[in-house]
Amino acid sequence: MNNQFSRREFLKVVGGVALATAGVSVLPQFMRKTLLPEEIVTADIGYDLFFAGTDGWFWLPPTPAIPPWHPDPYGADFTPPGVDPFTTYIFGFRNVTGMTNSQRENQRNKVQHNAPFFWVDQFDGTNEFRIQLTNLGLALRPDLTDAHTIHWHGFRNVIPFYDGEPHGSISVPVGQLFTYVYRPRDPGTYMYHCHVEDVEHVTMGMTSMVFVRPLQNGNTSLYPSGKYAYNDGDGSTGYDREYALFLSEIWSEGHWNDAHIQESDWSLFRADFSLLNGRVHPYTLLPNSPVNLAASTNCLTTQTDGNGDLMTNPGYEHLQYNPHSALITCNAGERVLLRFANLGFREAAMTLAGIKARVVGRDATLMKGRDGTDTSYMTNTMLMGAGESYDAIFQAPAFSGGSGSSGNGYDTYILYNRRYTQDSNLSPGGAGGQRTEVRVYPADALAPQLYVNQHPDDLIS
Amino acid sequence: MHTPKFKWVLMSITLVLGVLALGSMRPTQSAKAATPATGIVCTNGPNFNLTAQAGYIQTSDMNTVYMWSYGVTGGSFQYPGPVLCVHEGDTVTITLQNSLPYNQATSLIFPGQDNVQANGGLSQPEFDSGGALTSLATSAANGGSVTYSFVASRPGTFIYESGTDTKTQVPMGLASVLIVRPSMGDNFVFNRADSQFTPEEEFMAFLSEVDPYQHAAWEKGFGPGKNFNLDNYRARYWLINGRGFPDDMADNNASWLPNQPYGALARIHPDDKYLPDGTLNPSPQHPYPAVERFINVGTEEYPFHPHGQNGLLIGRDGYPLEGPGGEDMAFENFLVNLGPGQTWDVIFSWHDAENYSPTNPVNVTVPDLANVTIGMFYSGSPYLGQQQTMPPGTSTLNQCGEYYIISHNHALFQLDAFGQTLAGPITYLRIDPPLPNNCP
Repeated sequence: MNNQFSRREFLKVVGGVALATAGVSVLPQFMRKTLLPEEIVTADIGYDLFFAGTDGWFWLPPTPAIPPWHPDPYGADFTPPGVDPFTTYIFGFRNVTGMTNSQRENQRNKVQHNAPFFWVDQFDGTNEFRIQLTNLGLALRPDLTDAHTIHWHGFRNVIPFYDGEPHGSISVPVGQLFTYVYRPRDPGTYMYHCHVEDVEHVTMGMTSMVFVRPLQNGNTSLYPSGKYAYNDGDGSTGYDREYALFLSEIWSEGHWNDAHIQESDWSLFRADFSLLNGRVHPYTLLPNSPVNLAASTNCLTTQTDGNGDLMTNPGYEHLQYNPHSALITCNAGERVLLRFANLGFREAAMTLAGIKARVVGRDATLMKGRDGTDTSYMTNTMLMGAGESYDAIFQAPAFSGGSGSSGNGYDTYILYNRRYTQDSNLSPGGAGGQRTEVRVYPADALAPQLYVNQHPDDLIS
Repeated sequence: MHTPKFKWVLMSITLVLGVLALGSMRPTQSAKAATPATGIVCTNGPNFNLTAQAGYIQTSDMNTVYMWSYGVTGGSFQYPGPVLCVHEGDTVTITLQNSLPYNQATSLIFPGQDNVQANGGLSQPEFDSGGALTSLATSAANGGSVTYSFVASRPGTFIYESGTDTKTQVPMGLASVLIVRPSMGDNFVFNRADSQFTPEEEFMAFLSEVDPYQHAAWEKGFGPGKNFNLDNYRARYWLINGRGFPDDMADNNASWLPNQPYGALARIHPDDKYLPDGTLNPSPQHPYPAVERFINVGTEEYPFHPHGQNGLLIGRDGYPLEGPGGEDMAFENFLVNLGPGQTWDVIFSWHDAENYSPTNPVNVTVPDLANVTIGMFYSGSPYLGQQQTMPPGTSTLNQCGEYYIISHNHALFQLDAFGQTLAGPITYLRIDPPLPNNCP
């Protein structure tokens, strides 16, 4: 929806004249409020994260082509020389925490898919979490002046002011800032997305995950690692490693339409690509883009260059804006927490072949009845609707010995979307593109996990 | 991106009318018993006379769609058909008059009810002389009638729908809701003390879909309708309580939606079971939750997402979620995922977890309203019960500082109405300031 620019124009002209001729005091009360200088809090307490909403391009396998929508030929204009051209126009968020003004402005037209994963500690009475959002505008579509918001999907008992739903609250116009303040009282796995024109902004890529770590964390008497999904009281949600697995979809025609200034009939949506952490198989197995470990205390942060742009792994420059790996690695016997969130538009059936998992949480809620009845369950297929989250824990099976079933020192198990009709991507191997692997190494082969979704081959600084 | 401006203006006008009507028609206690502005409108039993017939509904993109649905015999066409409310143990009788076009037979099935009788015998599937199935239940010939009866043996939320040529008649609109209230009381969902709700806060989300090409084919005549190839079926409208956004925000029985009587706005007060410090409130004004009954009569999954609260799913398909010993198996979700033909019973409440107010302000610089994009329901203030003057050129539908928190289908393409964005199953939870307040 277009911003109501007429209000500003009106203020510029009428307000300017009025101020110049007579001063604010003669204005009627309803206008005086607006024309007075904005109140500035002298000791602004800042923010924990600073996100920017804008547009950009990313890469999906160009073959098979879906003419004329995929690959979008405009993508080549925005790809560095010598790199396999970007294929798909997207909207999204970038983490611009710590950047200079000019670095931040440079990120217009450089979003990633999916947006950064971030996490917060459960509110203990003092540790509220603050995200500042700015709107850099859309480089390719200056005709669109869409506002942006952050909607923390699933946050309970929130006031509309912090909910990011634009009709019942406010949203952030191009060039403006707003700070969302959260006091997360309920641990679990959530997602976040822009809620402005949400059919479009969500499927265009302004989506990712957020999780809340429980107050029980640090208690090593219930589980040795001291890491838990929930305040379970009994260690049942303790884990050694955690992986965020974010499901999204690309309808190539819709993305092409936005790049080429065409309207989309969203009722004709279909998923041409189903993504896991912003990639399709086999690219899901590749490492994360180089990780800035020091800046990853509450957000998985990719290293950036002097211009603030995302760094890439050598040889994978075309994945510059799909920075997230989806590979799962663990040692035999370890407990692994899989945090799933589905912000595609279709129900997914994520199947873990060869390993049973226990669903311990759904929609950021420990699986327990009001009287304490345990409602967790064992399964190998997590059926999740659009907008739903799952927390599933599996215990890694014993290592098969030798160099493993793979011949590379690990055993391999496949995690994939069983809904083949909506995730084919014509991916090699016939098990769909929304697919990754669980690699089980001998006990103690892998060092303890440093950050969520750590890949053994990640470049870390 | 763009909403065609004239449509958006029309939608806004509709919405203004709706909210104004909601204010002006806010019922007095005496009128409330007749038809509340929000919440479920029951047609009370246990004896019902329904007519299956053709009619039209309006969609949010200013289209009209040809439908078949149920109305009270002698009354007018409506979509969805009447919400039938009975009590546990009632012997329910429903006489169905078949006034459908094109000389079609029709029937009713009652998923979840046992031993359904039709004209005094067991309701049974019907077959033609060649042995091919023609109906899932005893049917009424065109122009005729059939009387069904059954004992409503257990409480819950159920569907009643056509059992004849179901892949045509159900998508054309022949499906609605049956609510069986428990013997424990009308303010309980089940015979469980923990299913008690606030009677004024009983809502439904009846979710359905329309392929306009199928409906247009039947509107053209029997031949085009019969020749519609269901392999080409593709829903292009998705509706809540028979309406799209923003029509669904208007009152029950809104005069400008004569055939779509059921609104979907949920209007509640904050829950005050606990005090801000977390201790039990000794004198709560609003201790019990609201209930929303979700029903899917379409062919797709409808993942419904209420913002700002996790509903507690206490019943599925007319059964409480409990173990064999009465153990509580209810679970919270911020996403109620409904499969075709499924119902969920969800209780929910809302309170401001941080108790924000002008004396306990949000810990952030509140931007001047001139520097943000303002939503059409926003009060101008972060605080419940507060309103702020809007900048020149900006208006709001907010009445008394109430909150509007959205709830919507999260298969977001289903929010589209045949190419019109944000015109599908979107509604709001309206939270009024605690009583006494200044709300109309």
